[in-house]
Amino acid sequence: MMSISLVDPRVRIALGLIVGLVAGLLYGWLIQPVEFVDTTPDSLRADYRTDYVLMVAEAFQAEQDLNLASRRLAVLGPAQPHTMVETALVYAQEEGFIQSDLARLENLADELARRGGTPEIGGP
Amino acid sequence: MNWRDWLPSLAAAVVGVGLGLFYAWSANPVEYVDTAPSTLRQSYRQDYLALIASAYGATGDLARAEARLSLFELDRPAEELTALAQRRSAGDGPASEAEALAQLAADLGQRPTPLAITQSPAATVTRSPASAASATPTRAATALPSRTPTAGPPFSLRQRQAVCQPALTTPLLQVEIADAAGNPVPGIEVFVLWDQGEDHFFTGLKPELGIGYGDFAMQPEVVYTVQLPQGADPVRQVQSEPCEAVDGASYPGSVMLIFEQPNN
Repeated sequence: MMSISLVDPRVRIALGLIVGLVAGLLYGWLIQPVEFVDTTPDSLRADYRTDYVLMVAEAFQAEQDLNLASRRLAVLGPAQPHTMVETALVYAQEEGFIQSDLARLENLADELARRGGTPEIGGP
Repeated sequence: MNWRDWLPSLAAAVVGVGLGLFYAWSANPVEYVDTAPSTLRQSYRQDYLALIASAYGATGDLARAEARLSLFELDRPAEELTALAQRRSAGDGPASEAEALAQLAADLGQRPTPLAITQSPAATVTRSPASAASATPTRAATALPSRTPTAGPPFSLRQRQAVCQPALTTPLLQVEIADAAGNPVPGIEVFVLWDQGEDHFFTGLKPELGIGYGDFAMQPEVVYTVQLPQGADPVRQVQSEPCEAVDGASYPGSVMLIFEQPNN
């Protein structure tokens, strides 16, 4: 059976490497992680994304400006606007949103699918 | 073993720290998914706030708008929305967003208790009908009129009143500006000149007092001239007049100037 001894320089080097690695990970992940500021809308949590899309649908109901709605949706990422709205609609249905909210989302999804709303700006 | 025997271990530890940081910061950094709106970059925050206002403009659901605004933990939401509305109305965004922001700001702000306004220091009257109407705004009455809210004939002074309000520790030059339809107009720059200097302020920065309202702290015994960029004539000899408190003591009063666009 092989014995491990600190007298062996290879053991000491391996030990130093492990201690250093653990210290680096602790510092990088816990003590000083990447700053959590200046995020973009495409990183929003699913419920916030859905509410964002719902706001676009609510505003669209009054403004009837499909280009503006598409531009607002474009900040959520590279997916097609109608896909984003349909994704939000599925989430809203699963989470039991009220009927009027679902109707607004359905209306925007239908309009985008029918009139082929294309974002005029790219995602973040 | 002496300390030299541990040097390779120390070097290995340093390398290990380097590898750990490389892995933690570059190879597999903390991933920022599932973020909250409050962490958004400033420009996206502003777009998000404008969208909250636009959605509110469509639904009229103030509770929902407030819930959404609460995600940002704004110190003074009404003021911040008003400032954003002014930037948007100056051309940074759709005009409909500026209107919606101004509307939401106005609806969030609490209307003031009617000021005690006097024609003479002794007599107390209520605010003018136009001012009182703005205390319970309707959507049409307080919305930003348009992207160019000052279009039309120049503003003219409709009323000039002494204001006696003991709660005001500093006498104020108060201005209310309305368009020809009587709708309050935010974002109007008001110039104040006196012998020793000049200053300016904007309407709409205190939405809780009305989006067409602005004020300026006066020095007692200084005579001011007030001028609007789109004003017909400057208002001269504006000065704090003494008011009499209930206990008979005298204190410096404020002045209210109400401007309005004449009907064509």
